[in-house]
Formats: sequence, structure tokens, C-alpha cells
Amino acid sequence: MSDESPTDRRQFLQRSLLGTTGLGMAMASTSDVVAKPVPGEMDVDVTQEVDVLVIGGGTAGNIAAIQAGRAGAKTLLVERGAQLGGTTTTGGVAFPGLFDAWGKQIIAGIGWELVKECVELDGGTFPNFAKVPKRHWQNQIQVNLFLYAILAEEKCEQAGVQIAFHEFPESIRATPKGWQVDCLGFGTRRRVLCKQVIDCTGGAEVVGMMGFERLREEETQPGSMLFHLGEANDPGRHQLHQLYVHGADSTNSRTVTKANLTGRKSILAKLRKEKKRLMHLQPETGFRESYRIVGETTITVNDYTSGRLFKDAVSNAFYPVDLHTKSGVKPKPLKPGTVPSIPLGALIPKGSRNILVAGRCLSSDRLANSGLRVQASCMGMGQAAGVAASLAAKNGTTPLDVPLAEIHRQLAKNGAIIPGKT
Amino acid sequence: MAVPGSKSLRRRLTSLLISLTFLVLAVSGGLAFFRPFSIQVIGLHSLMGFIFVGIVVVHVLNNSRQLKGYFRTRIAWVALAVSVVLTLLFFLQPSPIKAVLGLSQNLGPTLDHFEMNEDGMIYRYSPSPDYKLELKVKSGPSYDLDHPPRIAIWLENQGAYHIKTLLGPDKIAAETLPYWTFKRRGWEEARKAAESEEETDAISTPTPNGSFDPADYILPADPETSTPYKLLIEVNQPDDAHGTHRDQPSLVYAVEIDNLSPVTFQLLELVGYPKREDEDGKEAWSLYFVDEGFGSALELIDSALLTIDRE
Repeated sequence: MSDESPTDRRQFLQRSLLGTTGLGMAMASTSDVVAKPVPGEMDVDVTQEVDVLVIGGGTAGNIAAIQAGRAGAKTLLVERGAQLGGTTTTGGVAFPGLFDAWGKQIIAGIGWELVKECVELDGGTFPNFAKVPKRHWQNQIQVNLFLYAILAEEKCEQAGVQIAFHEFPESIRATPKGWQVDCLGFGTRRRVLCKQVIDCTGGAEVVGMMGFERLREEETQPGSMLFHLGEANDPGRHQLHQLYVHGADSTNSRTVTKANLTGRKSILAKLRKEKKRLMHLQPETGFRESYRIVGETTITVNDYTSGRLFKDAVSNAFYPVDLHTKSGVKPKPLKPGTVPSIPLGALIPKGSRNILVAGRCLSSDRLANSGLRVQASCMGMGQAAGVAASLAAKNGTTPLDVPLAEIHRQLAKNGAIIPGKT
Repeated sequence: MAVPGSKSLRRRLTSLLISLTFLVLAVSGGLAFFRPFSIQVIGLHSLMGFIFVGIVVVHVLNNSRQLKGYFRTRIAWVALAVSVVLTLLFFLQPSPIKAVLGLSQNLGPTLDHFEMNEDGMIYRYSPSPDYKLELKVKSGPSYDLDHPPRIAIWLENQGAYHIKTLLGPDKIAAETLPYWTFKRRGWEEARKAAESEEETDAISTPTPNGSFDPADYILPADPETSTPYKLLIEVNQPDDAHGTHRDQPSLVYAVEIDNLSPVTFQLLELVGYPKREDEDGKEAWSLYFVDEGFGSALELIDSALLTIDRE
């Protein structure tokens, strides 16, 4: 997959000859006179125009990108890591859920398609959704995290989604047609002109860069570092071992570094204590909580536990209220029959245009968020955001102005389950 | 003063121990009967009881010759008859005995009450003056008092393990309530297995099994640290054919009780129906979500309301 269009390459060559690229500047700087960079301007290696830019290729992001691509939008997916899947793959929480509630499937679509294909290709098994789980996690699906990451890439490619690993936005500015997003990776400076942005960074980092309001608790839930001690790890067949990483924060490279160092230290201490072999270790902490957006609609815990069907609901969600604290977690199951819904308004920062979020940063209070943040729900949100963004790009409008019926139609076409329609 | 022989010392020590342990047993027995349940009092009474039995055995051996003599007299038959009658009375517990036992404030089966009438079923349980539980099961259209449904009521901890049966069916009725039977039968084994499980501590889910002592749930010493538990009922109307079912399976309803957020009124919700399956060659029963194959069984109960008064 080539990152550069012929135009990009031509511009790059011209800039090189004119000495405006970094290399050109270095070669020209043989005297004490050094050209000063123009504030707000960035020398770029790649410039491209897309309809939809998805930032963050994790649980929600890769689904959002695949959906936008399938809907015909020219889509770029920017991911700071080296693979897709986020919490499911890099974090090692390779047991996404919950796709079912009370004996029925309530979340399907692209996320389910990916999970199902992964399990089938890996010769794994599915829980029996007709059976009442003794504990909610028994209906999570065990997937092979390595395979999941590759299949996600394949589906992106099939949908025409361009992937840019190891990059993250450095600056964002609004343009008459949408956004100009400058991304940085090692050896790569990319300028993206897009109509719509979907922020799937987990902590709404892009929304923060845009200056929209976000919320954050004083003390956030711990993250988890996943590993396996003792016998050989068998991916897709059992859950990994895990340790809390208190204070784990996904906000920036410094906080992520700190969380990873802390998690790995804890595992080393455990290893020494138990005198077992370390058979598997995830490269990064799985994060539960950081920032949430203040959206057009905020889902409250009462909305969540009562299974409120929002007028602009675009996806279902299902999980106990599941707030982790220093002392552990006591999941509070939902009452029988309850299936919460996710409104489009909770994915749109208040007062914004041309920007959506999907994932754990959706607009919700803390307790509602503790149930909404899980993978199947994030996949459902991702697909809904992908549809809304692609339709908005196509119609030349903002996601909030896309007719709901059109969003539902596109979601249904791609196998998603529409809230209240089952 | 003559130094007593070892035999005499043993007799004296035995008599003194009997007297003192008897005193402890008498006081703790009274407290256990008249005061609300306390694991300290019950523990003291039970364990001291075992010690007492041991000392009495020594005492009987010390006095075996005299005792043999007593058994050769006519009064031995009277003693035997009185013992047998008291044993039977206290075991079978006819109404007068139950009335006496009802004076107890302890956590026990004596303070429960179950009645069935045309309006449904009512179960009351009050292990302490501070705690009154009532489960009112309102009859549905297919409820028939002439052929009443079978019912079992029990408690489960967070790990879905049986911790106490509040109302158990008789042996014949138990056959129609397979889920309760399975839970009841396997709970001891399950408890041991659960306790030996390694607890994970991070990812959303691993829920501690919690205590297997019902008192920790019903009357927790510290409600702030108590964990929620569930009250379940299994009901079945035998021979209730419907659709493809020659006899519709029993249905299980449940409600979660959380002492941290005490609620006086709670409705039980339908959970599912039990189905037998084999797990590693062993019989196991799991619940399945009710599907469209059910009919009259769903109308056996109109509602099941749990009321808990905590003072």
C-alpha cells in the first residue's frame, strides 16, 4: 500500500529541490544563518485528502474505519502503535463482549463479523447464548489476539482503508471543508485534509486537541497488565493472567510509559515470588479510564441501568455496571431484560461539527461509562460512528444533521442490530 | 495429708471439668437459644459441647461399674423410654415443640413459615427480630390449588453457589425441582472447588466467591463489607404439557439482595429453565433462557415480591 499519491511525490521532490524539507534545510544550513520555521506550519512528507480520518485503530477505531470504507468513504486510519485491535490485541483483553443479552444477540455488524471469523479460523468455540451465564464474563468470546490483529488489517484493506501505523496527530485546525490534521510518526510527517474525523483514541485526545470540553475523574480506574506464568500460553483458549496497574493513564506517551514500566515491575516481582516462568507478556497496559467527552447527549447511570431507548439510538450496549477500584471490582448486573442503548448524541462533542468519537470516551457519567466502555459496545459505537461520518462526508454536512433513518439503513445493511428493532 | 493416687486425681479432675464445662454450656446454650445468631456464641457452645462429651465419656468409664448396676434396675427402662420420647419429639417437632422453639431468636428453620392458598404462596423467615423476610408469590392463571406447584427457595452467593435452603421440598417433590436438587447436592463440593480456585484480580469479572456462611449475607456483622447475594425460587407444575413439551420444565426466578443498598420491596425476575448437561462426565444442570416453547408454566406465577424489613 503506497502512502503517497503522484502529486504528493511531485510536491515532495519540488520541496526537496527548493530546500524546504528537513533534509534540504540541513544541507543548506552550512552558515550560522538558520531558517526559522513558520509558526503553525509543518514540513510534510505526505499530504492527502480523505473523506474520513479515523484516529486510533483500537477496538472501536478499526471497526469505524472498515465501516466508513465499506460505505464508500475514502478513509485513512492512523494508529500510534504497530497493530490494530487496541485493548483486544495490544492490551491482551482478547475476550471481547458482550454481544448478547438475555438469550439474544444485541450487538452484531462488523465487530461481530471480525470476532466470528477469528474464532472460526482459529478453531475456537463460542459460548452458548441460549444458556444463562452464571457470571457475565462467561459469554465473552475468546479470540486469538494475533489472528484478530491480522484479520482486522485484512478487512481494512478489503474496505479500501489506508492504514498509517506509528503516527499520531500533532496539530489540528478547522478548514472550510472539515479539518487539517498534521500527524507525526518516526520519519513521517503527514498532512491530512479530511471532511470528518472520528476520534477513537480512547481518551478523546483529538477532541481535547480541538479544544472541546472533556471530563476526567480525580482518581481513575486501574489499568491491567496481562501476562501468563507457568505453562505455555494458548491464545484464544483462555484468559491471560492479569495485574492491576493503579494510576494507569493513556493520555500521552509519558503516562503510557509510566503505566507500562509499573506493570512490568509488578510482574517481575510476582515472577520472582512465585518462581515461575514468564510465558507471555503483553506489550502495553490495558487502560480502562481517562477522559470522556461532554457530548450533545450524556448517558447517565440511570439511563444505562433502566435500558433507556434513546430517540437517536444507534447501537446497543450490555455489561454490568463495572467500576474497578483499588480494592477490586463488584460488578452490578443489569436487571433481566434490560438492554441499554447508545445515542448518536453521546458520540458527538457538544457544539462541534465534523467530529465524532467512538469507544470508552463517549459522553456518559462515570458509572454508566463503567459498563459502556467494554469491547462489544465500543465496536457497536465504532460502526455507528463510521456510518455517520461517511454519510456526513457524502452529504456535505455534519454527523448530527444526517437523518437517523439513513444511518439506521446503512447500519442494517452492514449487519448491525438497530436498538429497539429486535 | 495423704497424697491422692493417680486414679483419684483423674476422678477429681473429671468432675471439676464436667462442672465447669457444664456451666459454660448452660450459659452459652441459653444465649444461643434466646439471643440472635452469633457465630461466637454458637461456636463456643458447639466446640465446648464436644469437649463436654469427651469428659463425660471419661466420667462414664470412671463409673462404669455403678452404671452397669443402674441398668439392671427397673428405673433403667423408664430412663430409656423418656430418652426415646424426648428424642422423637425434638426431632419430629410437632406444633407444641415448634411453638417452644419459636421463642428462640436464633437463625434457624423454626422461624420460617410457609403457606399456600388460592392467592398463591407466602413464605416468611425471620432469623432475628431485626430482620423479617417475606416472599409473596402471587398466583397466575394456571395456578391450581388442587394440584399445587412444587417450590424450593434458597440463597446463593456471588459465585452462584448454594449457601442455604430456606424452603426445601419433600423427597418426591424434589424430583420435579432438578435445579435446586443439583445445587443443594453439589454445593459442598462446589464450595471446596471454588475456594481452591486462584483468584484473578484485574480484568473486569473475576468476582470473589465470597463467604459460604449464610449469616454473613443475611445478618452481616458489617454491612459495609458485605457482598450481594441472591434469593432464588424454583417452581414447577408437574405434568403441565404445552406445545412440544410433554411436561414443561421448572422455572427459576431470582432477585439480588444487597445489604449495602437495602431495598424493602423487590420483585423476582424470571431467569430461565434448567437443562441437564454433562460436564466432564458428571451430571450438571444449567439455566437456559426461556423460549417460545413455554406456555402455561409462565402463567403459574403472576409475580413474586420479596419484602425485607431491616430495623
